[in-house]
Amino acid sequence: MERTFENEIGLLRLGAGETFRGEGILAITKGLLQSGVSYVGGYQGAPVSHLLDVLVSARDLMGEMGIHVESCANEASAAAMLAASINYPVRGAVTWKSIVGTNVASDALSNLASTGVTGGALIVIGEDFGEGASVIQERTYAYAMKSAMLLVDPRPNLASMVDMVEHAFALSEASHMPAMMQLRIRACHVQGEFTARNNVKPAHGTNSKFSEPADFFYPRLAHPPVIYSQEVNKVSERIPAARAYIREHGLNDRIAGTKPSRLGLVIQGGLYNTVMRQLGEMGLADENGTPDIDILCLNVTYPLVPDELIAFARDKDRVLVIEEGNPAYMEQQMLRMTVDAGLSTRIDGKNYLPEAGEYTGEVLAAGLGRYFLENGGNILDLDAIRRRMERMEKVRAAAGALLEAPLPPRQPTFCTGCPERPVFGAIKLAERTVGKVHVSADIGCHAFGTFAPFNQGNSILGYGLSLASMAAVTPMQERRSLAIMGDGGFWHNGVQTGVASNLYNKGDGVLIIMNNGYTSATGQQVIPSSKHSEIFGTGAKIATTLEAMGVKWLRTVRTYSVETMVKTLKEAFTTTQKGLKVIIADGECMLARQRRERSEKAQALKEGRRVEQAKFGVDAEVCTGDHSCIRLSGCPSLGVATNPDPLRKDPIAEVKQDCVACGLCGEMAHAAVLCPSFYRAARIHNAGWFERTLHRIRTRVIGAMAGAA
Amino acid sequence: MATTRLLIAALGGEGGGVLTNWLVAAAAAQGLKAQATSVPGVAQRTGATTYYLEIADADDSATDPVFALMPVAGDVDVVVASELLEAVRMAERGFVVPDRTFLVSSTHRVLTMHERIARGDGARDADSLMQAAERASRDRFLTDFAAIARKSGAPLNSVLLGAIAGRKLTPIHAETLRNAIEAGGIAVSRNLAGFDAGFTAASCLERSPDAPGETPAASKTPVSTALEERVRALPGEAREIARIGVARLVDYQGTGYAARYLDRLAPFADDGALCREVARHLAVRMSFEDIIRVAQLKTRASRLESVRREIGISADEPFELVDFFKPGIPELADILPPRLGRALNSWAERKGIRETAHFGMKVKTNTILGFGRIWLLAKLKGWRPRSLRFAEEQAAIEAWLELVSQARAVSPDFALQTADLARLVKGYGDTYRRGQETYARVVEDMVRPVLAHKNAVEDPAAQLKGAIAGILTAPA
Repeated sequence: MERTFENEIGLLRLGAGETFRGEGILAITKGLLQSGVSYVGGYQGAPVSHLLDVLVSARDLMGEMGIHVESCANEASAAAMLAASINYPVRGAVTWKSIVGTNVASDALSNLASTGVTGGALIVIGEDFGEGASVIQERTYAYAMKSAMLLVDPRPNLASMVDMVEHAFALSEASHMPAMMQLRIRACHVQGEFTARNNVKPAHGTNSKFSEPADFFYPRLAHPPVIYSQEVNKVSERIPAARAYIREHGLNDRIAGTKPSRLGLVIQGGLYNTVMRQLGEMGLADENGTPDIDILCLNVTYPLVPDELIAFARDKDRVLVIEEGNPAYMEQQMLRMTVDAGLSTRIDGKNYLPEAGEYTGEVLAAGLGRYFLENGGNILDLDAIRRRMERMEKVRAAAGALLEAPLPPRQPTFCTGCPERPVFGAIKLAERTVGKVHVSADIGCHAFGTFAPFNQGNSILGYGLSLASMAAVTPMQERRSLAIMGDGGFWHNGVQTGVASNLYNKGDGVLIIMNNGYTSATGQQVIPSSKHSEIFGTGAKIATTLEAMGVKWLRTVRTYSVETMVKTLKEAFTTTQKGLKVIIADGECMLARQRRERSEKAQALKEGRRVEQAKFGVDAEVCTGDHSCIRLSGCPSLGVATNPDPLRKDPIAEVKQDCVACGLCGEMAHAAVLCPSFYRAARIHNAGWFERTLHRIRTRVIGAMAGAA
Repeated sequence: MATTRLLIAALGGEGGGVLTNWLVAAAAAQGLKAQATSVPGVAQRTGATTYYLEIADADDSATDPVFALMPVAGDVDVVVASELLEAVRMAERGFVVPDRTFLVSSTHRVLTMHERIARGDGARDADSLMQAAERASRDRFLTDFAAIARKSGAPLNSVLLGAIAGRKLTPIHAETLRNAIEAGGIAVSRNLAGFDAGFTAASCLERSPDAPGETPAASKTPVSTALEERVRALPGEAREIARIGVARLVDYQGTGYAARYLDRLAPFADDGALCREVARHLAVRMSFEDIIRVAQLKTRASRLESVRREIGISADEPFELVDFFKPGIPELADILPPRLGRALNSWAERKGIRETAHFGMKVKTNTILGFGRIWLLAKLKGWRPRSLRFAEEQAAIEAWLELVSQARAVSPDFALQTADLARLVKGYGDTYRRGQETYARVVEDMVRPVLAHKNAVEDPAAQLKGAIAGILTAPA
């Protein structure tokens, strides 16, 4: 695991009245324990990875409370886990990154939502939307509507989020609908505090098992003929029950404005802070969140509660619905409700606010500003709003004019010494003789191969789907195509969607599997083929799995030996042997390896054992400043420095101090016959007597020779 | 409204998260309400990322403030950046504004990938970045925090925390910020050293000097008085460069070769600026890096010293040193006599192995045998004038000098740019060959036509300068 979580686990043990200080996603985890969950699962993915990471590390706490924790193979298996809440009155929670995780889980979710649940079932959704996101931009809202699932979108402060966790379980039980809690990226990582309540030991769990299984009850199956009554039940029973609970417990906040006005805002709970701040900047709210105009803040965005909305809109001329992303589901529902209720209130939304994209402070300032200037004439201080809008425009224009040319982007890239970087260098070298090939890319650290200096990848179809997305490309290409997949993507689905399908259809093509031992991009979580894990990992081997499935052409290559990788790639692209060719690129994630080796080396040093500390370097006088080594390697520790040679102007290559001596820059310059500027130097701690004497002799002889040079 | 809105811009993996946690913990310790968010998202390995904090003072903390989750252009009080380009990026996004924002930023640069892969100097001009940072901020404290961190042996984020405390940029007392490091329990002693260094730097406004570069050994070789006289006869502008060139070539081949350098330089002595540039490029072209030169550079006493400095050891500590050599047919043919060398090249060409056959060698240069092999290679220096490469390089140099003198007829500036064409030819193996091809193409397309007055090109010097710059910044 990238981060260790001792003090976080301590926070999970807090009792009633104690102050919890930490991140949003951790507060949610505490909320789960306060709600008496019996089981928790999920799949890692920003921004929710820490929920599962902490619970996986908190094994003894989970054991004490009898909570079953699973690190699921993918989101579908996580969603299927919620089936426990169909037959049994047990509360369970799973988490994943959305929209992509929800897509993978959608079949299980539809079945679960059709039968409905007895015990509360909560899905903690990390809505990867807006700045910092790494996936396609879609709204999870659509799933709530089409499958009739609850969607909770709490105000992004820890207290509200934790309260809504507990309400979500109760709401799920009251309506028999699975509940989804949507947390945006900044809400997951928001640091704040809330007053804890005691954890609740579940009535049934791993310490208090059911003596008998549930009795057979056909309506609990997602199977004809009950599928029809289940659908009717959603609209006739469950949604009304949900609305009743939402109204009775006042889950949505009706915030009265200090100045009566014929305008009102209906907003998603998750946007509360941004909306309140922008109103404040326009003089329409104070710093403590008391607005001048009425606001209905929806902490539950599905189902909407018609009478609540109609009551809010009845005495208004216009109501602006603020919902981020498209399409405008909430606005469309409200239009229908107000028409049915015969109201003349004008429902605004995407006519004032952008149809797509994140609702940042700037976006809301512009949208709200225009809305109030056009419609708030009689009662609002329009001058304050105009001043605010003018200032925002001045700031934007000045920022735009600051520089003649935009700054170069600084995208994430492979870490120093990453085992996956050499593979992309090798592909570039292999293409020099084999020619350009179609590259089907995937999700994971290897996706950084789509950035400079590698710029490789013709498509990304989602996690683990690189080989599958090449199925129709390879037969139509003269040259074999290449799919790149991580070991994480392989176990997530690639083994089946890609490899099994390719073999079954007697396909061809080359597949590189980056075997770095973890899902590294999300924080080095463990996968079935991980070697270094006491908790998980079956010690499954990717190579033996592939052989068992019928892969004939299979090579395992250590990624740092660039020349071997180039040779293997050339052979894979040119061999006459038909069928899928798989190259397992072996090399442990350098972050995980460094973390392990750093402590081992420190220990060895303390015990006085011989330790080698290597680093690569560039001879300043031999380097001519062409930087072809950087174009092939792109390692963060391979930078440029001012040329010490007064006769030359171009900067030379330089290896910085954070080099971990993986050897790539040297291997690459060697394999690509670039130049002899690189060297590998290793400092030797606690050298033995013989080594020191040999060194003294060498220094004297070499010193003489060097002196005479 | 006295809530401080603070935005940290840091590179992934630089400890921006730890810096944020120290601030949040210190605020809590002082009973102040605070909130922090960030967008770590996909492992932000070395990518640019931000952390946004809002810290209420005592009065605001008594109320129930609603904190914003994201920075908004024009509304940020303090921006703390760990690197100069990221500081300017915050200004480019409107987070640093002249009527509100205090900017704390390091002035050191960590080049982005796009800047590093250029064939020449692709780095954004540092001065224009500094001016943009100064123009965009209300007030600022800009210094080389990386140098301070190196000197105090501490990570950058603790030095930044010290600077935040030193300039009182938040309602949190300096002492409380310092205690947060102790409470945090991460490399406490080093981080406290960093904090104190940052604090002093910020409170007494001294700017740390940049580390001085050292001049390479080659240009310290003694020069004979005869050659020194001839150098002094050259125009003032070119004298310093010519002196370095002469020293370089005496070290490279000998005094005769250096004299030949001055002979070739003489025709340009009447134009100081042109003489200086020809002197620069001529010295570099005449000291071309064949295997013999590389061997000489690798077996120099000063080189072993710089390797020891690189890994931080003293002379009597044992170490291992591996050098990478991969000579192929062209490199071998280079040091053969011209007739034999050309025969080998054409034979290899026919066999189609000229580019592919290589002898990969990883030489242990810290051992007597390993060092000895390279040292012997360097001894071929005497043989070099009789080698194929020597003959080819002298011919190419003569052609280039002829081109430059013809270009003088067009304009002094066009002659200068023609001389600057030499920058395109550098590197080893196929990089060197590609450089020669690019050089030949530019000469055919943009120099010969102008010399032959075939098409009256408008301002040929500027066009040539643009072409060279374009080639050097566009990655191959």
